[in-house]
Amino acid sequence: MKKSLYLGAAIMALGTVAQAEQLTVFGPWLGPDQENVEKVLAGFAAASGHEVNYVGSDSFEQQIMIDAEAGSAPNVAVFPQPGLAADMAKRGFLTPLADGTADWVKENYAAGQSWVDLGTYAGADGADSLYGFFYKVDVKSLVWYSPENFEDAGYEVPTSMEDLKTLTDQIVADGGTPWCIGLGSGGATGWPATDWVEDMMLRTQTPADYDAWVKNDLKFNDPKVVAAIEEFGAFARNDAYVAGGAGTVATTDFRDSPKGLFSSPPQCYMHRQASFIPAFFPEGTVVGQDADFFYFPAYAEKDLGAPVLGAGTVWAITNPSDAANELIAYLETPEAHETWMALGGFLTPHMGVDTSKFSDAATAKMNDILLAATTFRFDGSDLMPGAVGAGSFWTGMVDYAGGKDAQAVADEIQASWDAIK
Amino acid sequence: MDNLAGKKSGLSWAVNISVAVLVLLWLFPTAGLFVSSFRSADQISTNGWWQSLFNSEQNVTLRTANPDEPGVQVLENGVYVIRGNLYGVAGKAEIGAWGVSSRAIDAYVAGDTADLGDGQTIAVQANGDYVWTSPTEMTGRGQRVFATAQTPPEFTFDNYRSMLFDPSNSEGMAKAFFNTLTVTIPATIIPIVIAAFAAYALAWMDFPGRAILVAVVVGLLVVPLQLALIPLLRFHLNIGIGKGYLGVWLAHTGFGLPLAIYLLRNYMVGLPRDIIENAKVDGATDFQIFTKIILPLSFPALASFAIFQFLWTWNDLLVAKVFLIDSTGQTTVMTNQIVELLGTRGGNWEILATAAFVSIAVPLAVFFAMQKYLVRGLLAGSVK
Repeated sequence: MKKSLYLGAAIMALGTVAQAEQLTVFGPWLGPDQENVEKVLAGFAAASGHEVNYVGSDSFEQQIMIDAEAGSAPNVAVFPQPGLAADMAKRGFLTPLADGTADWVKENYAAGQSWVDLGTYAGADGADSLYGFFYKVDVKSLVWYSPENFEDAGYEVPTSMEDLKTLTDQIVADGGTPWCIGLGSGGATGWPATDWVEDMMLRTQTPADYDAWVKNDLKFNDPKVVAAIEEFGAFARNDAYVAGGAGTVATTDFRDSPKGLFSSPPQCYMHRQASFIPAFFPEGTVVGQDADFFYFPAYAEKDLGAPVLGAGTVWAITNPSDAANELIAYLETPEAHETWMALGGFLTPHMGVDTSKFSDAATAKMNDILLAATTFRFDGSDLMPGAVGAGSFWTGMVDYAGGKDAQAVADEIQASWDAIK
Repeated sequence: MDNLAGKKSGLSWAVNISVAVLVLLWLFPTAGLFVSSFRSADQISTNGWWQSLFNSEQNVTLRTANPDEPGVQVLENGVYVIRGNLYGVAGKAEIGAWGVSSRAIDAYVAGDTADLGDGQTIAVQANGDYVWTSPTEMTGRGQRVFATAQTPPEFTFDNYRSMLFDPSNSEGMAKAFFNTLTVTIPATIIPIVIAAFAAYALAWMDFPGRAILVAVVVGLLVVPLQLALIPLLRFHLNIGIGKGYLGVWLAHTGFGLPLAIYLLRNYMVGLPRDIIENAKVDGATDFQIFTKIILPLSFPALASFAIFQFLWTWNDLLVAKVFLIDSTGQTTVMTNQIVELLGTRGGNWEILATAAFVSIAVPLAVFFAMQKYLVRGLLAGSVK
């Protein structure tokens, strides 16, 4: 105590009035991810002298609403979904980020303008400002496979959607099952299918159509969207294509479904899932050796480039303080990104980071997919209003996987969207 | 003579059987959970706990030693040879059929030699011993072997170890344990004290509006507590209690009171009127009647409500999340700690069964301790 008093006096004397504050950060990460983010925050604490507390919750979405409503919000909240952050901004629970942050993101992030747009929301007064800072992103357009199983069967990694479909038929002809698909996720059952549909939207329609769809300018029951849903159905509703048959798609847990890649004999050869999925591979599976991934390819005949679907966490200030602003400023430094890069499971659009700091080659390869994207689009269901993106879209996809007509499902989702307008 | 008291009914066997069936029905899932708590995530997802108790035939993927590691391959008579055991040590399982390609996993039986092409061969014995030979130096990863093997039961303490003794978890668990006690004990005692007074008044004191008051209390039983969460939290913040132990005690007290008052009042109403009237004639005040007569006689009801309330507050997550757990991270309870152990996307779900048995320990102890008082209380009531 005495020592810190002297230290405080010394700092005062030097004129650097850096008042040490207590800063609370609330986010969705638990377990190993929590340890990683705490290391990043420890870096900030060491650099700024503030005391930083991180708390994670598996029910972040509900908890942050309770805390904000009750007026006991943390200083900084880490949103897994921009849609939720936009809702909170509209209700006046978020504080705009410091001036100049938008310019910094524009200049230093790959596809900077799109990250600014994703973090810009209308406030309580209706004026647009930048509320969210993206830090840590995931790539979703990945197909996981076992290289040794491909080798045993003599399959090549497909580079176009046409090739992928040919390979799928080839595996069936050889007596195997090409895909493992599981939509189960407790209360969020159905979300893996929304990723499929979003990826298919990007591969069959223009990015402009995708943006219009997310904003509902393009209706959910538009033939373009229905066609994308049916593209997903072409894989998921074919008994011969899916391990266990199409009937098991909706009931298989997404955490269990990749295990089919590694069973003996293999239940399936491919699994489309985001970059986080290796956490659910059987113990001891080494990414890059036992398991690998390739980019979920686009149609060669359609001129839509190489679209990549992704997601990310957006940091916003829920309880303004100087330390909170300093933390956002710290996240702009390459150091903040490189700390987590070295710990693994971290991708970043920051162009100024040293890519040799990635913990393994696989992550670096994922980041290359991210940076090589001709079109990057954020997970549409996370941008839609909660009642649709985390509600009727999920349940609609479960109905569709269960055999319901695509048009009927799309009509229902559109009706639920109309209902909240 | 047939209806003499004490003669056993002819249907007692039916009662015994149905009790046995009910007990088994209750115990069966618990036994499964207990077995699962000693299994790893991969084991749980491959087969059911009932299969884990016996030898089972499993298809497993094994791998030989890595030829790139120094000393693994030896040159014998001009042939490179790698020897070893697929399981690390012999006798862990008995291999029946095996294969070297994922497309033909049962191409060979134990003792056969498989041709890997390029002059390489591999022979696998039933106990897992293998000999891998090649005319040229071997490179790359170890050869995959797909085995169909009779595997004996295997259990592990890893789940318990990682939950209780892992340095990154044990500190949080210990803190959560004491926090939970800090929440639970006052949250059990406060409502009992208040409810006992209220129940006596509602049962034995005459005042206008008593019947309506009882009706209101019964009515409150059907109000879901979720309705009150946000308004109550706002109220706490406005009057300066904020998030913390006091808030969570008050919340648990409020949510527990209707049931407590209802239970205790119904019990107290059933006590013999004569005792209370005699005491009044002898000049006892209401307070004396309450402390000297009603409380001792109501012990069974108090104890059974205490068990209810203790179990409910011990297992509670919702009320604690709303009224206690704030962003400083200093206040957490067991249930919340367990949820956190599951990881961001629920990846460590295998610890759930283990967590259930760790967190069940204290309520079980409380239940058996209170059970004793409950029986004693019942006897005391009947003798007096």
